Amino acid sequence: MTEHLVFMLQLLITGIAVGSVYALMALGFVLIFKASSVVNFGPGELVLFGAYVSWATILQMHFPLYIAFPLTLVTSIALGLIIERGVLRPLIGEPIISVIMVTFGFASVIRGVLNMVWGSDTRPFPALFSSEPFHLGPVPVSPVHLWSFVIALLLLGTFSLFFKYSLTGMAMRATADNQQVALSLGISVKGIFALSWGIATVVSTLGGIILGSVRGGVDFSLADLGLKVFPVVILGGLDSVMGAIVGGVLIGVLENLSGGYLDPVFGGGVKEVAPFVILVLILMVRPYGLFGKVEIERV
Amino acid sequence: MHKSFVYVCSVVLLLVGFGMLSPEARAQGSIKLGNLVDLTGPTSDQGKDISQGRIDAVQYFNQKGGINGKKLELVSVEYGFQPPRAVAAYKKFVEEDKVLLVLGYGTPDTEALRPYITKDKIPYLSGSYSGHLTDPKQTPYNFPGGIDYSTQIRIFLNHVKETWTDTGRKPRVAFIYADNAYGRAPIEAGRAYAKEIGVELVDEQIIPTVLTDATSQLLNMKKKDPDFVYINTNTQCVPVVLKDSLKLGLKTTYVVNNYGFDERTPSLAGDAAEGVMGIADVAFWGDDVPGMQTLMDFHKESHPNDTHNSPYMRGWLWVMVAVEALKRTGDNLSGEGVKEALESLRDFDTWGLSQPFTYTPEDHRPTTKARLYTIKGGKLIPTRAVELPRNLAWLGK
Amino acid sequence: MTCGGFRVRYRDDERIFDTHLPVAGLLVLIGALSVVPFIASTYWLDVLNRIGIAIIGAIGLNILIGFTGQISIGHAAFLAVGAYTTAVLEAHLGLPFYLAIPAAALVTAVFGLLFGLPSLRLKGLYLAIATLAAHFITTYVIIHWEGMTGGVLGLLVPTPTLFGLALDSDARIFYVIFACVIPATFFAKNLFRTKVGRAFIAIRDRDVAAQVIGVSLFKYKLLAFSISSFYAGIAGGLMAHHSRILFSDAFTLLVAIDYLAMIIIGGMGSILGSIFGAIFMTLLPEILKLTATSLSGVYPQSFGLIASSRDVIFGLAIITFLIFEPEGLARIWMRIRTYWQLWPYAY
Repeated sequence: MTEHLVFMLQLLITGIAVGSVYALMALGFVLIFKASSVVNFGPGELVLFGAYVSWATILQMHFPLYIAFPLTLVTSIALGLIIERGVLRPLIGEPIISVIMVTFGFASVIRGVLNMVWGSDTRPFPALFSSEPFHLGPVPVSPVHLWSFVIALLLLGTFSLFFKYSLTGMAMRATADNQQVALSLGISVKGIFALSWGIATVVSTLGGIILGSVRGGVDFSLADLGLKVFPVVILGGLDSVMGAIVGGVLIGVLENLSGGYLDPVFGGGVKEVAPFVILVLILMVRPYGLFGKVEIERV
Repeated sequence: MHKSFVYVCSVVLLLVGFGMLSPEARAQGSIKLGNLVDLTGPTSDQGKDISQGRIDAVQYFNQKGGINGKKLELVSVEYGFQPPRAVAAYKKFVEEDKVLLVLGYGTPDTEALRPYITKDKIPYLSGSYSGHLTDPKQTPYNFPGGIDYSTQIRIFLNHVKETWTDTGRKPRVAFIYADNAYGRAPIEAGRAYAKEIGVELVDEQIIPTVLTDATSQLLNMKKKDPDFVYINTNTQCVPVVLKDSLKLGLKTTYVVNNYGFDERTPSLAGDAAEGVMGIADVAFWGDDVPGMQTLMDFHKESHPNDTHNSPYMRGWLWVMVAVEALKRTGDNLSGEGVKEALESLRDFDTWGLSQPFTYTPEDHRPTTKARLYTIKGGKLIPTRAVELPRNLAWLGK
Repeated sequence: MTCGGFRVRYRDDERIFDTHLPVAGLLVLIGALSVVPFIASTYWLDVLNRIGIAIIGAIGLNILIGFTGQISIGHAAFLAVGAYTTAVLEAHLGLPFYLAIPAAALVTAVFGLLFGLPSLRLKGLYLAIATLAAHFITTYVIIHWEGMTGGVLGLLVPTPTLFGLALDSDARIFYVIFACVIPATFFAKNLFRTKVGRAFIAIRDRDVAAQVIGVSLFKYKLLAFSISSFYAGIAGGLMAHHSRILFSDAFTLLVAIDYLAMIIIGGMGSILGSIFGAIFMTLLPEILKLTATSLSGVYPQSFGLIASSRDVIFGLAIITFLIFEPEGLARIWMRIRTYWQLWPYAY
């Protein structure tokens, strides 16, 4: 019996670890949505950008970590600002589908530019974390995963406090709720948007660094992982920071559990599709996700 | 809505007319080869080197006088691993460029174009080494550019059998493969052969094309305790399997297929790569083979700042084979002629970049011999060469 | 040129063509199209065929998104269902293509109905993501239901025959495709003169209000999904015959995004827009490819760089359109037309 328990425990813990990586990616998405009601359909590319830039600063330009890391963060903030200013601001007020498409558009551009600048080789990612597994009882956990979990929790705490108690945080929530009123109250909506995109890209970069470390290398297929963000944010609610973290972990766990238990039954491949099936089921019961804000429509 | 239709159609007609009148840039007396690569899709990291290798090789051969005096020209199209674009590119190759051979790329394009090349009689030298392409009776114009995946998995199983010393039980093996055409290609053959030679196949695990975590699959596999595991996926995903395996403490020897294993594996997988074996279809960068110096010299001249891995060698290799076939066609320059020339290659020496190539009208497997490499101390050490007989029963599987 | 209209009957108001000129123009167009296969090269016929298929698919998607306001990213899945069903019906049941394609389209319509069910509870982004889920689930089924679909090895589509003539070249398929495009366009155009069409538009504009005045959301939302999927089914079936071999890689999410781009760039809520968008999105990569290939013929080492710029140009095209002309090519077209109609007056 204990063998089964250990098996399940292993799946659970791996699920939480892997899920926290998803949570980081989802957090970037949620932050943007929370502040500007913009749906970003290119989260994968933002993560990719983060991974490539950190690779470049550490391995290509050989900067020491204490320069490379801030440099990476600064670059991602810059990207966020460019996106917000150049692409999203002209589209304020357009229907949601246009905004979605424009995010596809710049995701494509980011991808193309990265390809042109650095080419499509798989590059080994700098070993920022040791590969010695850390043992949680009978279950080995890699340090990378542990770190991502810790970072996710830290960010959860920080952002929850930020949105609840700080003035800027409240301003962000106000803007997301009703831009017109926020403007009339003197909140700089443009500034809020810029800030939210900047933060979001930074979070995505962290996600990119973690993913790069997990896989051992950076290459373009990293971007495809961006799609995993959607079950997470639906589960957790599009505008809930808590939801992103909880959703991420939940999806990670569900994925691993279904992989562990259902793969042998169905002959494999279930792990990938399970989150989406769950997604549909959840949506039928709770259309706004577990923690999402229910939208009240008036005629 | 009304007049606009007229305008729309006139625009369309204009475009059609433009298309037909587009200049046919056909330099007199040049031989064209179609070049399909993926530079923006999921296998773009291989594609970049393959494409570069082909371009360099063509330049090299042109410098050396071309083919019987004619210059070689590559018509290159990037298709992003999407079959419809490959088909469109192919139609252009055939219609407008009148290529004599297509340097194909991977499984999607090769599979998508199968009905077309047979009908149009254009030889297709592919980077996809699927066993399904080796039987001329089914796919007469397909020529895999290297030892096919099914033979590779059989080599793996042979190696297991031959190095197994415990007489108390049969060796246990498992397959880990990607959930796509390329990953699944040799599995059926592997199952059959394992049964045939008395190796016990205890488990099969499927991993997605883009992999971040293989823990649940490896945990399930651990229960069956295999001694050897064959991995059939891409270079980018193999390190994840290896690292997760190390983390979970699995005691098994991994053997990777040719497209999952190259110079980058040790650096991508770190400690987890120690002891991992791989099947090599081409020489690795810097290997001590006759052709390597030529490649390295040329490379140093044109783009000394790039790094190169085995896909680059493959690019050269395939162009070399194509060039030889074209030379042998002499004046009968047609797709059929090139096909026959390819089928006349016997133990063709590819400057040591690969095992010698032999294509016959009955058998399109270029070789059934490969070298196994082991990673020791972060380096790829050649371990042994395994050759399988050219069993005709295995054709097309 | 006409300057304003003078109508005395409702019937006249509803006419698609006000005067005889457009009808004549249309007949000329159809005539020209029938001659094209005799003079164009296979390459351009292939492009035109793909444009034709894209037009049908785009009109279908536009009916759903542009006219009814239901966001769906699952279009690739519906195309896949249409394509595979057609191939299976022909390969396993031996149905001729002119029966298989409509039958497959019906199956796809039912499928669309099923996946449209979430639309009854979900809106906007949530619906979009639910359709995304539909896409992945469908792809999974296609890969794993190997008995039916040939899994990852692909399914060879039997060559369609008409009266003994094998339709295996682009020129011949061209007629089949455009024989479908023309009725499809007219049906869609006509749809929005009817009660059903108006219900769709009402749902898009203010669905809560529509419900209040008696438009059954249940019935019409599901109908929108079904009709849209029917179109996708036809497009998929034609695609199956055009490419002759099917496998799951041909129906990735990128395909769905391409169709979305088509209707957005072309103009949502406009049939003409779907046509423009389909043409634009199909031609753009071709033009890029031609440029890349000819440039790389001259500068072989630049091939890699040019090829990777494709993504950048694609993305920039979408962004530019969305910023400067959110209503798409159809709107630009309207402006040109209005200018000419009213010239030399300004308004």
